[in-house]
Amino acid sequence: MAFNGLKKAVTLTPSVRTLPSGVPAAPLLNLAARAPADHAHGHGASGPRSTATPRWAGGVSRTSAGLASKSYVTLPPTTPSTARFLHTSVAVKDAPQVPDFSHYRANDNDSNRAFSYFMVGTLGLVSASVAKSTVAEFLKTMSASADVLALAKVEIELATIPEGKNVIVKWRGKPVFVRHRTQAEIDEARETNWQSLRDPESDEQRVKKPEWLVMLGVCTHLGCVPIGESGDFGGWFCPCHGSHYDISGRARKGPAPLNLEIPTYEFNDAEGKLVIG
Amino acid sequence: MAFANTLYNTFFRRNSIFVPTIFAGAFAFGIGFDTGVTAFFDHWNKGKQWKDIRHKYVEAAEEE
Repeated sequence: MAFNGLKKAVTLTPSVRTLPSGVPAAPLLNLAARAPADHAHGHGASGPRSTATPRWAGGVSRTSAGLASKSYVTLPPTTPSTARFLHTSVAVKDAPQVPDFSHYRANDNDSNRAFSYFMVGTLGLVSASVAKSTVAEFLKTMSASADVLALAKVEIELATIPEGKNVIVKWRGKPVFVRHRTQAEIDEARETNWQSLRDPESDEQRVKKPEWLVMLGVCTHLGCVPIGESGDFGGWFCPCHGSHYDISGRARKGPAPLNLEIPTYEFNDAEGKLVIG
Repeated sequence: MAFANTLYNTFFRRNSIFVPTIFAGAFAFGIGFDTGVTAFFDHWNKGKQWKDIRHKYVEAAEEE
């Protein structure tokens, strides 16, 4: 232990470092502090100043640790603190001969630019097409397929229905009544005082051609199928709860709140057909 | 090189022209692509589709 202590005492570092210029280094004391423009005042580069250094430029002050010199304006001394090595040889470059890249350079910047933008535009064009067709194909999956559309329409040969007869066809899982009305029935339907009915509708609103009455055969009360050519009004009669419909399919008596519903239909006059749906 | 400059100055210089050109081109490309693929499909399957053999059966049905 004593040896170590002695060794420590001997190997103390020097308390003062000498700069290469021979001046002892004093880190807290800036011996080179100068005013921003201290020349041509009748004094040399060194020595006592003939003018007072302004406070904002710094100066020497006493602190508890000793003297401290601060200069805010002048640069710190540029004296190198490391040993300077001299060399007289030419520095060896890492790559003494730069390769010739002119062969790889583009001959024409304009066509290069146009080509680059053309490729960008082409990519955008293809991307836009892909995005559009993706969205379009996805939306197509929501539309009805061909077999559903084929089932959605029913065609009836009108020539096969004699006057004064009913035909019931199935359309989208529901019965549809097609009535070929006689002239007397048409007159009866049109002369009714329809304004006073429960669901006031004129016969003209309910048929496209007066001799053809097309309507859904579902009772508007609870969905039974009414019986044709019966009831108190010469039209339809629902056996479930006793609703009576007239020859235009209007609710006249019983619990039914509305007239029989009219589906969308068209007449194909060229082929003499009725197309429901 | 004059062509490249003309192309650049006409279409690529302004984004307001560049982007609508791309969209219009995508529209035209979509139509052309559909038409071309359909034509190729019809050519490849010539004589096999219903529209190619329909006249045989429809005429026969009318004769009956």
